[in-house]
Amino acid sequence: MKIESDKNYVILNDNIDNTFMEQFKEYPIIENLGYIDLKKKIEFFSSKTIFFKETFYYLKEEEKEEILELLIRQKINYIIITSNIEDVLFANNLVIYKDSNIVLEGNTKEILKKEKDLKKLGYGLPFVVDLSLQLNYYDIFEKVYYDIPSLVEDLWN
Amino acid sequence: MELIGNIIGVIEEAKEDDYAGLKVNEIVTYKKEEALKMVKFDLEKLDILFENLSSKDKNKVILAKKLHDKEIKLVNFSKGMLKKDIEYFQTLFKKITSYGRKIILVDKNSEIFLNCVDHIYVIDKEQIMYETRTIFDKYLKKYIDLPKIVEFIAKSEEQGIRLDQYTELDELLKAIYRIKS
Repeated sequence: MKIESDKNYVILNDNIDNTFMEQFKEYPIIENLGYIDLKKKIEFFSSKTIFFKETFYYLKEEEKEEILELLIRQKINYIIITSNIEDVLFANNLVIYKDSNIVLEGNTKEILKKEKDLKKLGYGLPFVVDLSLQLNYYDIFEKVYYDIPSLVEDLWN
Repeated sequence: MELIGNIIGVIEEAKEDDYAGLKVNEIVTYKKEEALKMVKFDLEKLDILFENLSSKDKNKVILAKKLHDKEIKLVNFSKGMLKKDIEYFQTLFKKITSYGRKIILVDKNSEIFLNCVDHIYVIDKEQIMYETRTIFDKYLKKYIDLPKIVEFIAKSEEQGIRLDQYTELDELLKAIYRIKS
């Protein structure tokens, strides 16, 4: 996989093993750190790109957002490696693996339009995207939402 | 500490099981093939070292090893799992408990608690800080991100819309459609 140094990515893979990680061995990889240790690590981080190997699993939503804000402030690009479809909304670029091969790659919002492919691959859709697509189908909405507060606000007001 | 329930959700900082240095073959020894098939582990990976497996496979191996224990404690079992995997294991957990076993899920992802656990505990330094019988308990938000469907229902309530405690998207959609039409 080719990483462009000025972009942030989410890599979605349901089999993140050492063989898969081998391709990123030249990069600093962060894993198994809680929020406080992670924040400390980033504050003194010297590289321009950071890889999170399933690190987001240990964080609450607001902690994830704070970590990403910190990275943006420090001009560090990030690559989030995860199996959680909800995490794909944290970057504009998405790469999806299945059985060690890239099966989908590109702009996150564009890829999320491929509802059938994502469900067939077993990843599904983030809840808020899934719900808004279904509401589009029922003619309640004509747009896709990427966060629950905005969807709730527009739905009930 | 006695935890009540058949499938119990626990929010706690706990150490994940580690069998580094051992091959799958050496970790799961009792009724190996049967146990590994039950957790959908690929039998071609029997000679792989634990540390070289993905999180999902590690968790499958840990469950296979503990399948015959009276109390099965799984720490961060949902790590590496997709929604469809979680659904499969939730069904398996229910089957396991029907044989008189207890399952304790210490997890960071509350989606695994949805439709599955009958009791949730928040534990800190071996002390029970809070306990509840439902994932719709708003107080839990202090300790863990609630499932997205629960978050949506709670946010709707803040807007003055009371929805039932739906756990499936289809049921929720029908309710929204009824209100909007």
